[in-house]
Amino acid sequence: MSAADRKSQTLSLNQPVPAMSGRMDSLGFSKSVQRVIFIALLILFTVIFFTPFLWLITASLKTRAEVFNGEWIPDPIAWENYINVWRVTDVPIWLRNSLVVGFLASITVTFSSAFIAFGFSYFRFPGRDKLFGLVLATMMLPGVVTMIPVYLIWQRLGATNTLTPLWASNLFGSAIYIFMIRQFYLSLPRELFEAARVDGANYFEMWRHVALPLTRTALIVVFVFEFKASWTDLIKPLIYLRDSLLFTMPRGLKAVLDQFGQGGEMQWEIVLAASVIVTVPMIIIFFVGQRYFMDGIATSGIKG
Amino acid sequence: MFGSSKSSLRRTLALSALVLLTLVAPVVMAQDAEQEPNTEMTGSLSIMGFGLGDEIATTRVGEFERLYPNVELNFTEGGLDEQQFLTAVASGTPPDLVSLPRAELSTYAVRGALTPLTECIANEGIDMSQYRDVAVSEVTVDGEVYGIPEFFNNIMLIINTAALEEAGLTVDDVNTADWDSIAALNETLTRMDGDTLSRIGFDPKLPEFLPLWVAANGGQMLSDDGRTAMLNSPEVVEALTFAASLHDVAGGRAPFSAFRDTWDFFGSGNMIANDQLGVFPMEQWYMNVLADVSPDAPLAFKPFTDREGNPISFATGSAWAIPRGAANPEAACAFIKTVTSPEAWIAAAEERARLRAESGTLNTGTYTANRLADEVIFGEIVGPTGSDVFDTGVETILSLQENAFAIPANPAGAQFRQAWIDAVNRVLNGEQTVEEALNQAQQEAQAALDEAWAQSES
Amino acid sequence: MASNSLVARSFWGRATPLQRREMLAGLGFISPWFIGFLVFTAGPMVISLWLSLTRYDVINPPRYIGFQNYERMLADPRLGTSLFNSFYYALFHVPLAMGVALGLALILVRVGRAAGFFRTAFYLPSVTPAVAIGTLWLWILNPQIGLINRGLELLGIQGPGWTTDPDWIKPGIVLMSLWSVGNTVVLYLAALRNVPPELYEAARIDGANSWNQFRNVTIPMISGTLFFTLVVNTIASLQIFAEVYTMYFGNMTGMSAAASAGLFYNIYLFRQAFEFLQMGYASAMAWLLFVIILILTIFQLRASKRWVYYEGG
Repeated sequence: MSAADRKSQTLSLNQPVPAMSGRMDSLGFSKSVQRVIFIALLILFTVIFFTPFLWLITASLKTRAEVFNGEWIPDPIAWENYINVWRVTDVPIWLRNSLVVGFLASITVTFSSAFIAFGFSYFRFPGRDKLFGLVLATMMLPGVVTMIPVYLIWQRLGATNTLTPLWASNLFGSAIYIFMIRQFYLSLPRELFEAARVDGANYFEMWRHVALPLTRTALIVVFVFEFKASWTDLIKPLIYLRDSLLFTMPRGLKAVLDQFGQGGEMQWEIVLAASVIVTVPMIIIFFVGQRYFMDGIATSGIKG
Repeated sequence: MFGSSKSSLRRTLALSALVLLTLVAPVVMAQDAEQEPNTEMTGSLSIMGFGLGDEIATTRVGEFERLYPNVELNFTEGGLDEQQFLTAVASGTPPDLVSLPRAELSTYAVRGALTPLTECIANEGIDMSQYRDVAVSEVTVDGEVYGIPEFFNNIMLIINTAALEEAGLTVDDVNTADWDSIAALNETLTRMDGDTLSRIGFDPKLPEFLPLWVAANGGQMLSDDGRTAMLNSPEVVEALTFAASLHDVAGGRAPFSAFRDTWDFFGSGNMIANDQLGVFPMEQWYMNVLADVSPDAPLAFKPFTDREGNPISFATGSAWAIPRGAANPEAACAFIKTVTSPEAWIAAAEERARLRAESGTLNTGTYTANRLADEVIFGEIVGPTGSDVFDTGVETILSLQENAFAIPANPAGAQFRQAWIDAVNRVLNGEQTVEEALNQAQQEAQAALDEAWAQSES
Repeated sequence: MASNSLVARSFWGRATPLQRREMLAGLGFISPWFIGFLVFTAGPMVISLWLSLTRYDVINPPRYIGFQNYERMLADPRLGTSLFNSFYYALFHVPLAMGVALGLALILVRVGRAAGFFRTAFYLPSVTPAVAIGTLWLWILNPQIGLINRGLELLGIQGPGWTTDPDWIKPGIVLMSLWSVGNTVVLYLAALRNVPPELYEAARIDGANSWNQFRNVTIPMISGTLFFTLVVNTIASLQIFAEVYTMYFGNMTGMSAAASAGLFYNIYLFRQAFEFLQMGYASAMAWLLFVIILILTIFQLRASKRWVYYEGG
């Protein structure tokens, strides 16, 4: 398959993929019955996946005495839960810290991992697969036992009680994303790169102008995954940050939880309202990012 | 590098503070050190495990800030997390002060993570007799005090009087001295709708309250010196056998806990208000929940007793301690003394009373480990709550405090606890008999204790 | 390593200038990872390996005790239980999660209107905070009033004690885990979009029915991604921790029935390290898991050569 063929393909990619279509036909169902089943499944799954979040939102709007009463509509609606969270905590500062860390962590890990993955996929040299095995091996040791040694390294670098340890190691790539992007690179036809080489591109340009644009989807997926991972991480902020003005959202949320759960007397409505505040920005990021999961390839096909 | 120069700066500051202190101490002591602000004490204090959540915390901290205006306080907000604390200790940058559960304190103290407070107590003139003995015993290891007790939480019986009434009984019929009568009461109050459990008669609160049942039976789970596990002693075996048998009427542990999980524990439709529970022993904080969400529920409070009828309780709470290597131990000591002093507690209780009166909510009191503070708080500040029921609740807690016990200080707290909790679960799940389970727990607990003590002494 | 460098050297001697250039460039691309590995990963890994040969309470300096921790593991019944639990979970979670995620992706890929809404809805559980998920699932799984058992009741089935019967705790946790397969769905969506439609066209002309198209076109074309999720999900599921810890071990009452049935390897490891202050033992446990996962992954890599198809090789 030539590069030109590939390009014409990617252009047509934003049509629906007929992955399972025709199955029902062959079983004798009419198109409309098939459509009804499809919509029913879609609604069923949407309800299953949406309900818990809906519960979280409604519960966060209830008064303390009613949080777990099983009703779907809060009565009365306790907007003051949100006002209380805002008033008693540094949520705006925590949000800002989380956004800064999340953005830095995601952007660095996306590009460094893509760069490194290119080394593990395009080039063929002895020892490559053994080195790649070493990359995978770093995922296999439970982090609990390396946590303190890693902390000591950051301490030596003078970076504890700063936001740096929360993202800076991403400059060197992350095993899981190197692996993931490598899989995407391996699915690109080599002819594409040979064509670029004939045009006089060096290796960096081959990565930059061929590999990167063609796998934009993967990059956005990595960005979103890492943003989510960073956004929800509690352990690193917990051990690296002491100053509450440096807290990220989950770390701040833990402080709220401990504060309003003293002696077991949980103020669930506050905890749940804070949970919603943590979740919503992530949903927005995902909603913005998800458009590219499917459309990205087609666009990159035009540009690339 | 930056961190280390900062900490050496802190050390210098602390040292100069110490020099200053020894110079001026006699003068200050001569005057009334309690009232006059001390401007000589300087430096900063980093504090872990304590949050400025409510007026009880902020008022007492405010008291310290008034007395020591030149000491800067840095709180790492949130409850103490083991990973956070141990990483800080392992990296040689422990906080200056830590607030932690008393049950965990000895684990750290024995291993040398905390400083003995002998000097602090002597220098600051802290009167240890003002704190409740049982709390002090929890923070005393090998004769040395490692922590100053803060809160004092107890367990009492919470009773659903509507259920009693329905059965033609009164609160007097709830008699925990007579175990046969508990079993009978449990049977009477348990209610089944067909096959489905709809009210638990008497919830023994296993596994977590096994120590209470053992103490009621005149037994002990651990020797006073914290070295010898006594988990398979006859008293423990008998206590577990009886408490576990209270699940039988309901059809065993599975339906029992399935039903218990359906309760709206923190809501206005809680299990007392909804008539889903007859009687259970419970931590005192739950009284505050009830006062908050269902003040009109058919409630009564009563002490849990041993088999001779004496009130008993299993006491828990937090303590303040100074990690070894703390940069500013003098200020830390002053902080501990101040926030656990009667003056600070009284100021905090007054503030709470004022806020509760303002919002029109019941004030069921603040229970401290400081006897002098409690005398004033409950003698002068916390008046009648405005509800007879909750007044008896407050009285019940006060009547229990002198009879409370705790698990003796030992260096294997978490493992010891794990051993007996797992044993109770094996019994309730029907995996082992009571004897088998407790014999295994005894072995595990003793091995953990031996190892931890041996390690600490080498 | 020695034989490796020998291979490399003999390669260097025989290599064409292009091959030499490719090797240097490849190493250049890899170098950032290698620097990070040396600075942040290699040291701590070696230290933890050494700690596994010591008694270390995190407070006092570690003391060398030889292989005592490993000997102790042999005699620790909880270690066996927790290893079994984690394998049980991985064995059910990995194939089910991959199947469910692929099914969801196949549905989502066909959604035309409001696709963004549906994709976001399917991803929601993955971003909902653990505290909400744990609380909610204890309610959904409740044997008496839970949604699942009430649903089963409608079908005339008496549902099991998902949260109270030790035999059903793990199936309940697997069920819960299937709800947050959002990441895997996203990956499959991206992979499905990469399958050239011409291939389906060609298959249809050859008379393939939809099942054959799925088997002979879809599966091979997304096999690279399937393989990735297989390896990564296996590693992650053997290390399951947070979800279960918040659900059953965060408070006392909940943990009753789950005490041994829900004791997963990493939960036990965590407790050894930070609750029981046995960091040496925990390190030994970590290295045992490391070796187990390593063997599994090598096996998966070997087997993958038979079923994973790379266009670019």
